[in-house]
Amino acid sequence: MRDSRRARLILGVLLTAALVILTVDHRTGESSPLRPLRAVGAWVFGSAEQLGGGVVRPVTTFVQALFTAPAAQERIRVLTEENARLRTGMLADKLDAARSSELKKLLGLAGAGGYKIVTGNVVARRGQPGFEDTVQIDIGSADGVQPEMTVLNGDGLVGRVIHASTTSSTVLLISDPASAAGARLEGGREIGVVHGVGEHGRLVQFRLLDSAAPLVRGGRIVSFGSQNGRPYVPGVPVGVIERVESTPGELTRIAYARPFADLTALDAVGVVVEAPKRDPRDAVLPGKEGDAVKRTPTRRGGSP
Amino acid sequence: MIGGLCVLLALLVQVMLVNRLPLPGGGAPDLVLLAVVGAALARGAVPGAVLGFIAGLVVDIAPPGAHLAGQYAFVLALVGYVAGRGAGGPVTTVVLCVLLAPLLAVGVSMLIGDSRVTLATLTEEVPVTIVYTLLVSPVVIWLATRGGEPRYST
Repeated sequence: MRDSRRARLILGVLLTAALVILTVDHRTGESSPLRPLRAVGAWVFGSAEQLGGGVVRPVTTFVQALFTAPAAQERIRVLTEENARLRTGMLADKLDAARSSELKKLLGLAGAGGYKIVTGNVVARRGQPGFEDTVQIDIGSADGVQPEMTVLNGDGLVGRVIHASTTSSTVLLISDPASAAGARLEGGREIGVVHGVGEHGRLVQFRLLDSAAPLVRGGRIVSFGSQNGRPYVPGVPVGVIERVESTPGELTRIAYARPFADLTALDAVGVVVEAPKRDPRDAVLPGKEGDAVKRTPTRRGGSP
Repeated sequence: MIGGLCVLLALLVQVMLVNRLPLPGGGAPDLVLLAVVGAALARGAVPGAVLGFIAGLVVDIAPPGAHLAGQYAFVLALVGYVAGRGAGGPVTTVVLCVLLAPLLAVGVSMLIGDSRVTLATLTEEVPVTIVYTLLVSPVVIWLATRGGEPRYST
């Protein structure tokens, strides 16, 4: 023990001093005489900490990253899942909105023509160039669909039902080469036949029976209607004439029309289960001619 | 003097770096304590006690602190004295001091009636701190016994 007594004395003094400081600080509380000392300490160490903070922060961040890596992994996984779910939800919302607007248009058209319709969705499509052009819809005889009924969407004529099972039906589109539908020119009594020409429904052929009747580009075609409204009900918009072919010497005149209904992108369709009491004539056609002509080409793509 | 600088440096590192690391268990090593112990080991009882007192006072007034001034001055003065006196070899001394300091601090807090110190502190927080401090202590033992020189950094 070197200098033990002195050491103990010093220790005792130090401990007593500490206790005195402690007591003073404790008793006086807010008005402590040690407050200025604390203020100085805060200033000195605060400055030093601020200066050193920039140096220290990368280290802290690195160690933090190391220790929180497993939690971060888990969080990334959770966020990725949530992101995917939200994305799906958003897409579904968008699809719902698109479908809602299509259905609204469809109901508007059906209301204007006085058609009683059952709505359905296209679930499958068969279509090769030159062969049949058909779609499958998710409504069938259980919903009142029978063969030889008119199918339309919010824009115009789509086709007719050829087979109907309990829960689904097959629709032959007007663009199918084997399809023929009676049609007439808007505002007149000139009648003709609309034939499909394939080409994915970008164009249909309109054969006017009277070769002397005026046939101009931009003329609009509505369905003529069959007996008892089967397979085609009258008054459904079919398309706009795009090109008139000169066929000298023939008995009929041929024009090519662009269907109002976008046959390449069908979704919500309606099957007319009850024909209107009387022919709606041109009442179902869209409002302005220029509007309809301008609107449709932008939605179609170029030739394949 | 070197011991004092070491203590100051240890305090800064403690407050700025070590206490902010999210170490598992929620504790951190007490570097100031180790610096005081190391300096006392190298210098003896009286310088150890004086250094511990000053270091404790600085810890008490250094910014993020809401405890009463004098608490750590008391604890570290005592620890510095014990470390300077020595108890067996340096290893046992350091271990003893590391065990002693947090218990002393808890005891002083309890005497003052600090409501933040409860039995849970004694059973949950103090052991974690002791374990971390013991993990770092070999560095101090090595530096202090190497050539009588106090350690320069942690």
